[in-house]
Amino acid sequence: MPAVIVRGLVKSYGPLRAVDRVSFEVDAGEVFALLGPNGAGKTTTIEILEGFRNRDAGEVRVLGIDPGDRGSGRRLRSQLGVVLQELAVEPFLSVRQVLERNAGYYPAPRRVGEVIELIGLAEKADAKVKTLSGGQQRRLDVGLGIVGNPALLFLDEPTTGLDPAGRRTSWELVRRLAGEGTTVILTTHYMEEAEALADQVAIIASGKIVAHGPPASLGGRDRGAATIRFQLPDDVTPADLPLAVDGDGRSVELRTDRELEALYELTKWALEHEVRVTGLTVSRYTLEDVYLQLTGADADRFQSDPALKAPIRG
Amino acid sequence: MSTRGESTRELRSALSELRLVVRQVGYEQLSFWLNPVGAIFTVGFSLLFLVMLGASAGSSRISYMHNIRLVQYYVPGFIAYGVMSASFNNLAISLVIRRETGLLKRLRLSPLPTWTLLTSILLSTLLIAFAQVVLMLAVGRWAFGVQLPSGASDIVALVVVLALGGLSFAALGSAMSTLIPNQQAAGPLTSTVFFVLLFLSGLWFPLKSGSTLAKISTFFPIRHFITAVLTAFEHPGDSAWAGHDLLIVVIWGAVGAAIALRRFQWAPQHT
Repeated sequence: MPAVIVRGLVKSYGPLRAVDRVSFEVDAGEVFALLGPNGAGKTTTIEILEGFRNRDAGEVRVLGIDPGDRGSGRRLRSQLGVVLQELAVEPFLSVRQVLERNAGYYPAPRRVGEVIELIGLAEKADAKVKTLSGGQQRRLDVGLGIVGNPALLFLDEPTTGLDPAGRRTSWELVRRLAGEGTTVILTTHYMEEAEALADQVAIIASGKIVAHGPPASLGGRDRGAATIRFQLPDDVTPADLPLAVDGDGRSVELRTDRELEALYELTKWALEHEVRVTGLTVSRYTLEDVYLQLTGADADRFQSDPALKAPIRG
Repeated sequence: MSTRGESTRELRSALSELRLVVRQVGYEQLSFWLNPVGAIFTVGFSLLFLVMLGASAGSSRISYMHNIRLVQYYVPGFIAYGVMSASFNNLAISLVIRRETGLLKRLRLSPLPTWTLLTSILLSTLLIAFAQVVLMLAVGRWAFGVQLPSGASDIVALVVVLALGGLSFAALGSAMSTLIPNQQAAGPLTSTVFFVLLFLSGLWFPLKSGSTLAKISTFFPIRHFITAVLTAFEHPGDSAWAGHDLLIVVIWGAVGAAIALRRFQWAPQHT
């Protein structure tokens, strides 16, 4: 049974439709990433799933419970873990005190010592929260999210403000939790984070889901056009090539749906004419390309590229 | 049988929620006292005021107030001030900080029942007010030789007045917090409102009844609260109860509670 079912979810603030008929499902044990620009409706969607906000229309089930039903709110919240964007921790309590306090809110919490190990704060366990670095506070925040041993964990931009090492540590933790069967729903601005962690990605823009699928094939980026880039020696101009390319001078690129044929023609020509082609790469759209195109930041390019547009699933 | 099983279960869950309140109050207090500088200044500010004004008052008397000693006015006055600063000023500021840093939202998203959380914050606030009251009673008695309420009925009157006042000003503090847009504004805004009203209400210089300030101050709850506390200490008549003044304080409290319940926000408002 899916851990989360959302069908036709609608939420308006006055005349603004913040969430507009959003539907998706998250299977138990899956890592689900919600991507989108600020104000796209990510946080509203998540707050409705958490039972923090009421919805206007649509059906929502979280761990089999309707989060809009106040009567079962406590039963739902005892199975949820939440990590917010704000560093919401009392400054004068110690790491251990804060975790012990919150563990007491849940029916079956994790051991506090285990949580401290998991978030790598063993050496800071008795330090006051205000003496922690930003990254350490962020990790404590994650610790507070998992101390209740949740079946479903919400992570709102969990690695914003972390250095690369801190980010890796957090990723390891998320993978480990997912491996133990915890369902994770995260929002992020980092494409490589979604790519590294998520089983499913949904891109949301202006309240609507514009793409949904595994990160490797999102927006059809495993199919569609490829870009071939290379450099020419000084005595060769793009006009000498057997293919039409973009770029002037030495660095050139070409976009094609048939990269195998294009490469064959290119390399055959280069070998026959003894031209030293250097820096040859073949690449497809990155997740970031797809994201920028779908969320409107780069919409023109998207419109002009039917190869990318076609395979998007709702 | 089934109703009996149900009522046992209800009783057990009520008890477990009560335990949560006690536990949460414990952590609230821990969090407060583990910041010694903040704690000492919060609790000691009213005492400092009382000691300075009490010392400078010497043996002056208030001719227009049954000729009582000025310090006899200051002790109840600053006890009232201590309760108000804990439950109005400090509560309003702390609620804004908790809201804007996401602390309230995080607790709201935990399984801790909402009433448990709010009751704990309120009780903890009243405990801090209580600490100030005890300190000032001691200083009033031993340093300034002020006669404290001693008869059973006077003591009951004092406790009830302080409790109702504490609750009413806590309701007003909660209402105030909903009118403050962000963390930076919390301190200046709340303190400005508080100290202007304190001045108008004659905390430092007892107001002559019939004066313009006295007329203005009858509209606000602070002077009535000071009068109610003072009456428990000093009552030339028989009654230690200033019923009319207490009623006005409670009405303000009820209005504050209504505004707070209507406007209360859990999530940060600065975005």
